[in-house]
Amino acid sequence: MKQSQRSVLILPGMLADEDLGTTIGDLEIQVSQPDAETDFEILDNHIGSLQMSGQVLIRAGKTLTLLGGHEGLISQGAASKGNLVTGLKDGPVKDALQHVPPLRGLLGVGSGTISHRDLSMTDDENKTLVRAHLTTLNPKGGGDAVTIAALHPLRGYDEALEQLRDHLRASAETASPDAADLSPMLFPDQPRYNAKPDVAIVENATAWQSAGDVITVYLQVARENEAGIIADHDTEFLHDYRVALRKVRSVLSLFKGVYPEEQTAKFKGIASELMSPTGRLRDLDVYLLARDDYFAMLPPSLHKGLALMFEMFRKERRGAHRALAAHLRSSGYHSAITDLQAAFAGTDGPPKGPMADASVGDYARRLIWKRYRKVCRIARGITADTPDDQVHELRIGCKKLRYLMEFFAPLYPAAAVKPILKPLKRLQDNLGLFNDYSVQQAFLQRFMDGHEPLGHKQDLVLAQSIGALIAVLHERQKEERARIMASFSQFDGADIRSQFRSLFNAKEA
Amino acid sequence: MKIVACYSNKGGVGKTAASVNLAYAFAETGSRVLLCDLDPQGASGFYFRVKPSQKLDNDAFFEEAKQVAKAIRGSDYDNLDILPANMTFRDFDVFLSRMKNSQSRLKKSLKAVGSDYDIIVLDCPPNISTLSENVLQAADLIVVPVIPTTLSERTFEQLLEFVEGQEATKVSKKKIAAFFSMVQRQKVLHGETMARMRDTYPKRILKAALPFSTDVERMGVNRAPVLAFASDRPSAKAYRQIFAEVQTRLRES
Ligand SMILES: Nc1ncnc2c1ncn2[C@@H]1O[C@H](COP(=O)(O)OP(=O)(O)OP(=O)(O)O)[C@@H](O)[C@H]1O
Ligand SMILES: [Mg+2]
Repeated sequence: MKQSQRSVLILPGMLADEDLGTTIGDLEIQVSQPDAETDFEILDNHIGSLQMSGQVLIRAGKTLTLLGGHEGLISQGAASKGNLVTGLKDGPVKDALQHVPPLRGLLGVGSGTISHRDLSMTDDENKTLVRAHLTTLNPKGGGDAVTIAALHPLRGYDEALEQLRDHLRASAETASPDAADLSPMLFPDQPRYNAKPDVAIVENATAWQSAGDVITVYLQVARENEAGIIADHDTEFLHDYRVALRKVRSVLSLFKGVYPEEQTAKFKGIASELMSPTGRLRDLDVYLLARDDYFAMLPPSLHKGLALMFEMFRKERRGAHRALAAHLRSSGYHSAITDLQAAFAGTDGPPKGPMADASVGDYARRLIWKRYRKVCRIARGITADTPDDQVHELRIGCKKLRYLMEFFAPLYPAAAVKPILKPLKRLQDNLGLFNDYSVQQAFLQRFMDGHEPLGHKQDLVLAQSIGALIAVLHERQKEERARIMASFSQFDGADIRSQFRSLFNAKEA
Repeated sequence: MKIVACYSNKGGVGKTAASVNLAYAFAETGSRVLLCDLDPQGASGFYFRVKPSQKLDNDAFFEEAKQVAKAIRGSDYDNLDILPANMTFRDFDVFLSRMKNSQSRLKKSLKAVGSDYDIIVLDCPPNISTLSENVLQAADLIVVPVIPTTLSERTFEQLLEFVEGQEATKVSKKKIAAFFSMVQRQKVLHGETMARMRDTYPKRILKAALPFSTDVERMGVNRAPVLAFASDRPSAKAYRQIFAEVQTRLRES
């Protein structure tokens, strides 16, 4: 009986027939002629989710084959709608990719040619004892060929299985790597992207050095997303790009006194200019991604207007993407960002401000402590009747606090930071939703006031749906608003307070 | 899970040939099949090139049903496993009754080692006296090859009488599905016998008949089911038709 294909070996090299030989002890091995070579492509997303979880996804012709995990080798049809995992047809490969972030597209990591052979091992009566399917990947570029052997044991012939396994390993060029190392072996030149690289901030560095390090790293992260935005692989490229630039900008505004004031203002201006052409596209992405949620907010009778609205968003997005892609390809953009990178990466670095040489440890503690106290001050003043402006102020304060804590996290033991970040995150989620609902209302209102007319009847349908949507969002905003005081009081517990004090207030500790 | 026994009170009628091809046909449709070679001669194992396994230690068998699972060998074909000849009749009785009982340890332990079979095909040895009630009870369908001669007619009658004699223990004649085996069309006697028997036992005899065929004989040389090496030949087609009728009867049983 066919056993589940538990046993998969990754064998460096082509594993040529000559290397495999024709016998193992008194058993014979037969290897079929290889089928015609075809092209293959290894797929992964920009953040390498598959590789990090020890999976290798191979697309060859109409088949997707996944290596790694408990299943060994599994495959399904390659047909898909778009490049997201959700767009794949239902099947075992799709099931095994459920851990992949849903918004990240599957992209080609590298390609080459693939060929298959079947191997069987037989006894003196020509009974098959074990079979293997050999898949040889021959990459384009400087990588090494690899053969994947899927062993198909037959029940009751365990010894033969072990013999074949040993024989295949011995026939390979080198020891078997893990599935996670397969893709780097095939495509050693493929750059590895990390959206949140560790920035080594050390206690005895200066604030100026640390700020420069963080900015340099995140400008690089932003740049690594440019090609993906231009190619429009998925919406996460733009998202990461903006997050990276926002980090740059927040270092500039939070690390007070590290650079001279007018220099800081100039850098901040450049960062804002880099950000601003990206806003409209990101907004449209966010709405389009939440399409199902919006439909769920309204009764079916109002869906027609939503469909109209999303169709307009979709069209506008196409233009917005084209404009941003052109911008990112322009020489003006290129020199703006390379100049900014050069300002931080150059041997001299940017000019120093009054706090430049402060030790980063003291500097961080002072900033965080100050920011923490400010957040608490604002929050404690908030009641059910406080105007929304003040809530927004609290949200910004929390955001700054969070940025600071994350920037300087390497200075503190992770176990100490985690428990105080958790209630902060919860408070921020609450404030974030409150803000999102209000921003969305304003966005929709603006859209309704300013859209291209569709004709009287359609405009009316559209207006009805948007009006209803705004009403729902308004209701939700009120609900979020009502939760804020409770979220804050959780964050403002006595133990959290004392932990903040002991971590960030050296003087009073 | 269903049990199909290929059985006859007469030797050399084509039980083993039928077991091998029926088991193969079931596996081909995706059912997970265990073919049990109950003949100490080990003929069906031979056709699949499976060497007879060491004789199971009786006590160990009763105490530790996993022993059975250990003796099972994968055939060269998907979904088809063989339990090579290695049981005494007494073992066999116990094996059957335990397989039938879904609570039995044997069944559970087979399941535990990853062999949850849909169909068990039994290739029975040619001796009615040693085949106990237990076997007749356990089988969902008893496939009986009948060579259409006057002598076979008598033996078939005896078989039915024997089965009816078991009425008290709920073995029904309905389980019997006979088919004409090694039919030679040019023999007038064969034709007459078949007509007469179909008349007498209209429900007990399958429509499809297996012709006498050198392809079946060649199984011994090729050591594979006819269905695997001569799929388009008349005998293979006959086995497929027999299989289709067996499937229908199983569904109705
Ligand atoms: N349809 C057929 N045409 C020609 N020869 C056949 C046919 N069916 C079976 N045989 C041959 O007849 C002989 C007996 O067949 P088989 O072993 O299947 O019968 P059996 O009932 O299992 O015998 P036993 O009672 O000894 O177990 C074998 O040599 C087989 O090749
Ligand atoms: Mg036999």
